Order: sequence, then structure tokens, then C-alpha cells
Amino acid sequence: MSSVTRPRREADFARFPSSTPIVIDNGASTFRIGWAGEAEPRLSFRNVVQRPRHRSTGETVSIVGDTDPSLMKFFDCTRSAVRSPFDDDVVYQFEYMEYILDYGFDRLGANSEVGHPILMTECECNPSFSRVRMSELLFETYGVPSIAFGIDNAFSYKYNQKLGNCNEDGLAISCEHGTCHVVPFLKGQPVLGACCRTNVGGFHITDFLRQLLSLKYPYHMASITWDKAEELKKEHCYIGLDYMAELQIFKNNKEEADEKMRYWQLPWVPPPKDEPPSEEELARKAALKEKASQRLRDMAAAKRSQKIVELEKQLSYLEEVMEQLDEAEEQEATAILGRSGYLSQQEIKSAILKATQSLRKAKGESNGNDEKTDASAADKYPLVSVPDETLTPEQLKEKKKQILLKTTTEGKLRAKQKRAEEEALREKQEEKRRAENPELYLEELRSRYSELSEKFEQRKRHKVNGGQTNGNHSSSGGVGRGERLNAAQKERMRLLASAAFDRGKGEDTFGMRDEDWLVYNKMSKDNDDDSNDDDESELVRIASKLQEIDPTFVSKSEAVQLTPEPPKIRHSPQRITGLPLESSGSAALKSSSSQA
Amino acid sequence: MESEVVRTEMVLAPTLPFKKMQTADKYPKGQSRGRQWKHLRHLLQSADASSMPPDRPNYMNIQSPPSIYPPKRYCDLTGFEAPYVDPRTKLRYADPEVFKQIRMLPDEYVQRSFFLPLVY
Repeated sequence: MSSVTRPRREADFARFPSSTPIVIDNGASTFRIGWAGEAEPRLSFRNVVQRPRHRSTGETVSIVGDTDPSLMKFFDCTRSAVRSPFDDDVVYQFEYMEYILDYGFDRLGANSEVGHPILMTECECNPSFSRVRMSELLFETYGVPSIAFGIDNAFSYKYNQKLGNCNEDGLAISCEHGTCHVVPFLKGQPVLGACCRTNVGGFHITDFLRQLLSLKYPYHMASITWDKAEELKKEHCYIGLDYMAELQIFKNNKEEADEKMRYWQLPWVPPPKDEPPSEEELARKAALKEKASQRLRDMAAAKRSQKIVELEKQLSYLEEVMEQLDEAEEQEATAILGRSGYLSQQEIKSAILKATQSLRKAKGESNGNDEKTDASAADKYPLVSVPDETLTPEQLKEKKKQILLKTTTEGKLRAKQKRAEEEALREKQEEKRRAENPELYLEELRSRYSELSEKFEQRKRHKVNGGQTNGNHSSSGGVGRGERLNAAQKERMRLLASAAFDRGKGEDTFGMRDEDWLVYNKMSKDNDDDSNDDDESELVRIASKLQEIDPTFVSKSEAVQLTPEPPKIRHSPQRITGLPLESSGSAALKSSSSQA
Repeated sequence: MESEVVRTEMVLAPTLPFKKMQTADKYPKGQSRGRQWKHLRHLLQSADASSMPPDRPNYMNIQSPPSIYPPKRYCDLTGFEAPYVDPRTKLRYADPEVFKQIRMLPDEYVQRSFFLPLVY
């Protein structure tokens, strides 16, 4: 019940003589206040308070009742929740009670003082501490002349008795916000010694509905709030008089069940569709790209030319030095050398060589690469071709190393080639098979795919199940018996234990055979063997093939599509509340108060 | 205050004319209010020791005892009648299909499902 319109201040407070009582129905869900003798309460609002901080001024204010959500943007509600002074049906938070009473009296029009007797409702057998503090609050803070407390069901029963709806003996069943009470009446008087209370009420039902919905539709958990669930409950739920029969309807009967089903459409914002860019866009983008690449090319060319210039300069300088050295005599030679920074003629010569090489590279890049690879190939195995007798022992060793290297690289190349050939052959065979009998081929592929995916999922589930759901009962899958219930895990523990056990006597022959090392494979928790990967790759291959040729194929991972229609929430069995109220024997049932 | 907020009069005025003592004085700023209020069960426990005649009804007396009928068994997932319980997760289920779904549930759902049935 979201009353967004706030009640106006009543103007006729002064009209009433000071003997007219003010009647307050202080309920766990709504607070009603009015004048005695009138048919309807003047005010009724939700019995809640929130104390947010006002954003601009920074002060904490109190807001009673329901509010317009659009106005709440002025307040910072992060640390203020909606609070109620009630716990079940007893008032225990008197600060909030005070705010609520403030608001109630204020809206009723009180100016100078509340000088009227108050009639207030409370729950059955209200504990004394609650009543004490309530009276204290009313007397001392509001200066009320007199107070009377009463039970709301009893009031309602007496009223109905006066109207003739029920006899003087009867049973009042009241379903409130947090509790339900059953009070028998004998000769018009409530027998409180025989009354009963159950701590289940409208609040719990709404909460139950909210939890059910959010469990079923976890994706929309944010929009299923308690208030929303309350609204749904009030508008669409009903009490099933025969719960089992209703369940049967939903189980068996399609049409009736469909009638009872309700669809709730959540507000849905379509995802922004990416429009394919128009022609101009494309052209513009292409032009930009061109410009950028052109700019880069220009920069690179400029750098290169700069480098070339530098190198040429250096080369000329070095050549000059060489010339000078050639022409000059000994003493001058050393002086020139010292000036140029090189220690000997050899160095200058090598520097010249390097400079010319890099110059050549800068001028024409592609030529250098081929030369280099050839050079390296020749470099790597220079000794291979040289016959044995002419080599020294170290050189022989070198030669052996180089032979080994050469053979291994060649072998790898050969193996790769062979694999490629095999692949090509296989492809050709498949194509031939497909051409002959497309249907059969498709069938085979499909069956193979389903088989593989089954195996895959099973293995995945095994992996997950072994770790996860077993850890359900033992906390967070740590060490403990819960972890070793699986057969595989028992095996693993056995291996680990035996491996760790130091045998001591006798030789340790563990690593002698190759198969021994496979034990580690079994020990590891992940248990990723190579066979897994093979299967996986084959699965992927088959999936891609199927996608090409089969129009109806949808790979398992994509099967869960985001529907373009707005989401609907099916609402059927949750509609029937599970509270089968047992009807009593004698005359009239009268339920008082609001919630059900 | 913004004008529309003022217009709707949603905020409680800090001082009210009919009160003998204003809330601001009663609950001075700075004290953390939340801790002052004991919960109902604490209050009831502390009140229990005091002398309350055992034959008169009081708040604890009138609370109804738990039901003597055996609880009805409903499926945790669909809401239908469920005579079966999954031994691993202790959830109730009505059909073999529901059972399959239970086995596929990730852990968190199982935890949350435990809070569902109204325990009374």
C-alpha cells in the first residue's frame, strides 16, 4: 500500500471539546488516528519511520510513513533504513513511536497541546514494560490528560456484536502484520486466558513470497523488493480453501491452471542496437586511417633519411681519418688516432665496415634479411662439411654438436610437414565422404558431437561435484572426511600417503621406469590428462564443421539465448497462501484489522 | 530545503508546539541511538524473572505451542507435494525431473533453499 499522497493537516482540531477522546489504532502495519464518534479515522499511514540525511543541508530529518520516491532523491538514504517501532506486535522502540505520534498529532491539527483523552490499542497481553513506556511517553511528552488501552480485536468484536453480525459467544481470529491471534468470547467478554498467538503474519507471508520469487528468478533479484512482493500479494494472491485440491489443479489441469497464472512484466530497456555504420561513416573512417598511416610513413621516412645522413657523415669522417693516417707519419698518426677516439687502424676499419653495412640496411631493408638467414645457416654448421681429420678435438666436439642441432631441426621440419600432409589427406577423405552421402555424414557428425559433449560435461561435473557439492555439508571443502568420500579422492590420498612415506630400507627405484611418473598425474587434483585435450580439440573441430554444413545446429554453449522479449514471471503456485485457517465450530467468525 | 519537499510537508518539523519536551532535547545528537533499544526477546527475558502470577495470562503464556500434527511435506522447488528427500542436499522434491534440477543446482541455491520453508 503505497500512499504517495501525503495527508493534509486537519484544520478542525479546535472544534472538538476537550472531552472528546482521540482514538489511535496503533497497528504494526498502519497507524490510524481520528476522533471518537466518527465513522472513519482521519488519518492512516504506514507505521514506519526513516531518518535520512538531507543532502544539501546535511541535517538528519525524520520522515514518517510512505514517501514519494521521486522526492527521495534529495535525501541520502544509505544509512537510514525504514524502521518500525514494533517487533512482532509489541512496541519496543519508543523513539520511533515518538516520531510517529508527533506526526499523527501534527496532522490531526494539534497546535498548542493535545488536551484530549487518548484511547490507544495494543496487542493481547501487552507486556508491562511496553505499556509503561507508552503511558510515560504520552503523559510526559504530550501532556495528555488520560489514557485508556484496549485490544483491537475486542473492539471489533463488540462493534460487530452491536451491529448484530455475531452473537455474544464467538471466536475472533485476527491476522495481523506480524502475528495471528485467536480470542474466544464468552458472554461478550474476551477470555484472555484461552487466547492464542502465532508469530506468523502478513509480513512473513510477503517475505516468503519474496524469497520464492527471488530464488526462482535470481537475475531479477533487485526488482523483487519486499514492497513489490506485498503489492503482488495484495492484488493477485488468494487464500486457497482446499490447498491440496488447488495443488492438484496446477499439477494436472492445464486450462484452469493457465487461467490462474499471472504474468508479471518487468520494465525492460532494450539494449542499444549497434547500427551498421553508414557509407559516409565508413568512408570517413577510412580516410582518417589513411591519413594516420600516411603520417606514420612520413615520420618513418624522415627518421630514416636522418639516420642515413648521420651514417654518411660518420662514414666520410672515418674515411678521412683513414686517409690522413695513410698519408701521415708515425707521431702524427698517434695524434690523429687520439683525436678520433679509436685506438688503432683495425678499429677504424671495422667501424667503417659497420657503418657501411648499416647504411646499406637503412637504404634498402629487404635485401639484408635474406643474406642474414643464409649467412646464419651457413654460420651455424660451418664445421659440418669439413672432414674430420683436419679438425682439432674441440672443433670435433663443436662439429658433433652442430650435427646434432642440424638433424634435430631437420627432423622437426620433416615431422611438421608429415603432419600437414596427413591433415590434408584426412580433409580430402572427409570431403569425399561428405560428397558421397551428405545425410549419413551429418548423422555421424551429430552423434559424435553429442557423444563427446556428454563425456565432456560428465567429466566437468565429476570434477566440480567431487569438490563442490560434497563440501556442502562440511564447511568450505577443507580437510576432513567430507573431502575423501569420492573414490577418486580416496585413491589420491592413498597415493599421496604412500609417496610421502619414507621407506628407508632398500633402494628407491621410483624413477627407473617412465610409467612411474604418471603417478603424479593421478595425484594432482585437477586430473588433466592429455586425453582430455584431444577430446576437447576434436569437439571443437566437429562443432565448427557442423556449424558450416548444418543449418539447424546450435552449439551447446550458445543455446541459452538472451530473449529479445521482455521477461515475464510465472506466478502460479505461489499465489495460494499456505495458511489453511481452521474454522471453528461455533457461530460467527469475525476477523478484525487490516492484513491477511 | 527544496520547495517541493517543503510543499509536501514530508519532513517532520524539529519542534512541535504541543510537546512538552522536544525530541532533539530528549535524544541529544551524537549519542548513538541504535544501541539503546533492547530487542523484544531480551526485554521479555529480563521481565520474566519478576513476579507474575502463573495463573494469569501474560505475553509468553498465550504463545501457542508448536503444532501437534506432523508437518506437511512440500517440494522445495515447485511447491507441490513432495514425499521424497534428496540425501545429499536434504531438499524435498516432487518428481524425478525436479530431482535432476536439484542435482544441477550450484551451492548457493541450496543454501538459500534451506531458509525457505517457514519454520514454525
